[in-house]
Amino acid sequence: MTSAGGSPTPSPTTTGKGGSSTGGSQNRKGRIDRIFEAATPLERKRYYREEWDVRKLPDFIARNIHMREFGFDHTGRGPSDRYRVFDDEKRLSRFMRARFPFAAYSSVAFYREPGKRRGWQRSELIFDVDAKDLPVRSCDCEGVCERCLDEAKELVLMMVDTLRGDLGLGDVHVVYSGRGYHIRVLDPGVMELGSEVRAEILRYTAGARQPRRKFTHRGESYEMEHFSIPLGYHRVFTERAKHVFLHMRGDERIENVTARTVREVVKNRDLLPDDRWGEFRRRIGPRVYPRLVAGVAGINMKMVDAKVTIDLKRILRLPTSLHSKVSMICMEVKNPETFDPLKSAVPKFVHERES
Amino acid sequence: MVSSLFINPFSEDAREIVRNYGSPDTIFEASSVLLDTVKRTRGQNLDDNSLLPGSIGDLAIKRVEWYLQRQRRGFDHGDYAYLMNPGIKEYDVIAFYVLAQAAGAGFRRGSREVRLVVESTGALVEDRFRVLGSERDEIIEEVLIELGSEGTSWMELSELIGSGKLRLTDLILHRGRVVIDEDEFLMTFQDLITDRDPRSLYAALVGLELKETMISRIIMQRTEDYIARVSEMSSTVEPHPIILETAERIRETVNEVTSFRGGPVKSAGPGKLVPDAFPPCIRGTLDGVKSGNRNDAIVLLLTSFISYARLYPSVFRDRTPLKVSDLDPDLRVIREEILPIIYEAAERCEPPLFEDDPQEKLNITAKLGFGVHDEPEPEHEGESKWYTPMSCEKIKIHLPDLCRPDDLCRRITNPLTYYNRKRWELHRGKSEQEGED
Repeated sequence: MTSAGGSPTPSPTTTGKGGSSTGGSQNRKGRIDRIFEAATPLERKRYYREEWDVRKLPDFIARNIHMREFGFDHTGRGPSDRYRVFDDEKRLSRFMRARFPFAAYSSVAFYREPGKRRGWQRSELIFDVDAKDLPVRSCDCEGVCERCLDEAKELVLMMVDTLRGDLGLGDVHVVYSGRGYHIRVLDPGVMELGSEVRAEILRYTAGARQPRRKFTHRGESYEMEHFSIPLGYHRVFTERAKHVFLHMRGDERIENVTARTVREVVKNRDLLPDDRWGEFRRRIGPRVYPRLVAGVAGINMKMVDAKVTIDLKRILRLPTSLHSKVSMICMEVKNPETFDPLKSAVPKFVHERES
Repeated sequence: MVSSLFINPFSEDAREIVRNYGSPDTIFEASSVLLDTVKRTRGQNLDDNSLLPGSIGDLAIKRVEWYLQRQRRGFDHGDYAYLMNPGIKEYDVIAFYVLAQAAGAGFRRGSREVRLVVESTGALVEDRFRVLGSERDEIIEEVLIELGSEGTSWMELSELIGSGKLRLTDLILHRGRVVIDEDEFLMTFQDLITDRDPRSLYAALVGLELKETMISRIIMQRTEDYIARVSEMSSTVEPHPIILETAERIRETVNEVTSFRGGPVKSAGPGKLVPDAFPPCIRGTLDGVKSGNRNDAIVLLLTSFISYARLYPSVFRDRTPLKVSDLDPDLRVIREEILPIIYEAAERCEPPLFEDDPQEKLNITAKLGFGVHDEPEPEHEGESKWYTPMSCEKIKIHLPDLCRPDDLCRRITNPLTYYNRKRWELHRGKSEQEGED
């Protein structure tokens, strides 16, 4: 899997809700708007009876289904039906067909007594990237659109690279959540880690800590910027910073950085796809640049929902279930490089809406 | 040649020395060889005999005393110069084990005495590296091999990472391994490094600094684990009386050095709260927090902040782990001022915190250092740790909604530091205004 560090600069012709190109077809925009409409109770019922199949449940959920707590939202006001347990997939299947919930969730934790949330054994390591909550995205849509979903996916691909390449983790799964992506890691080496280590993994993977600039060796001290160190955390930070700079609209607020500097970033970011970081820094101003780097670390932390990562007892949207608010299927992504949610995660009833 | 014993008490050689020493009966017996070595240390003050450890037991206590005193103003390195003398290494290894066993047998896990033993061990390792001179590189390599941390997986260091002793972002990682060896670094990254000498980049990124940090942190972690094992064993096996005597002497030393009244920690002390100096996250918490953030905001953030702001705002400057009762002996301030503020803020949450989670009162008591009980009681003090306020970095993760930084926030990294700075600014502003009037 390659990293998506060299994302293209957003097209200057792109405007308006939904982030679709003005040169693009109005029909396509209309179709996308129809996809993201909420599902009616009848549509939910049809989805769970005609299209949903418990055999499509990812193996990482199915193999220990009896150890997870399940939660359901039947009304669209939140998952109030908690502490549910299913001994096997058949029982889950019967429940889903009978109740066709607005939303279905399962715990990231495995318990000895999941029905009481007691006897915690271990938890998946989770990263939640929600396109709607990205603090930096090139579109100005109100919810989610093709563009911000793509940008969320770019970020997820980079994070998966880091988890595998730097941290050496296996059993890493990407799930399309309906409005973004979940990265679910079931590597045995991380399943028993506590919240504090998970927070540290998040900082590393998201590029959420200002990289070290000052170094000393044999009594001599000197400075190196993140982009001049092509390995380790510095490389991770450089990739994430590039992602942020290339997707800024120019009206973002970065902590401790003036609006003028943000505009300068947008003006000069064409240097970054060729990794002309030194020149970029010179144009931003060597004195301002460290503050910009600190601000980007803060933004990177907000690109991922940190509370999900550190919560060992979180319930997470169940892959294969329907995200009824946007009529999309939450599903495991086998090939993130080619995955297009608007092709693969749209339930049949939406196509029928169109016809 | 300096032996790695001087740095690493967990080496096979160190264990051998301890095994051969036998019973701890004699640890408080005077040793002329030790005293002689101490006296011959360059720079050692010799004008006060009480400064000089005459036995292994004394040396054990001096290790903790040194750590407490070095954080004081007017600390004289010459009073403890012998701790940096490699000549004491064999005695020092036994002193370390006596100290660790006393901590495990005599104190609760998480108590300040245990923390002091662990922290003093790490600090000694760090300071000793500085006096090694030309042998430093070789000793570092030797100790790393002894600790088995060459080519280790970062997951093996996860406890250190979780406790904040080591930062994942400071490590050089490749496919899960911590790259610490120069040859491995060159083999792994040489192709990526195009515009500078790979060896000089290795020296900057890994060099001695990271290796030393890793060594001191791993030794601290192993010390903590060892103390925990002793603690577990002492519930079934009666500890040796000399070990318990050592624990008592640790307690006396810590009390003597950290005693607030008349003691050297002059800057610590209860003062009135200044709500105008509270940072935005604390003001937000006091206004009441919505479901989802309530527990962390009240139990983790507010409890530690208010208690330290009221009783010991200079904790980060003094770096001396005091107990609540050192500052509030009859717990009147805790009961009559601090708990009401916390409980009222919990009441203002949506929905009120204790309606859903009445057990959170127990957690608040625990975070003040009084174990899991309804109310803080003197007899329970030390069953848990008196938690210092979480850093801004942690607040951004645990309570991002409460983090609304203002100008001052940008210059600080902990809400308590904000409080102290702002109090000073308010005080200065008031003085200037009075001057103008």
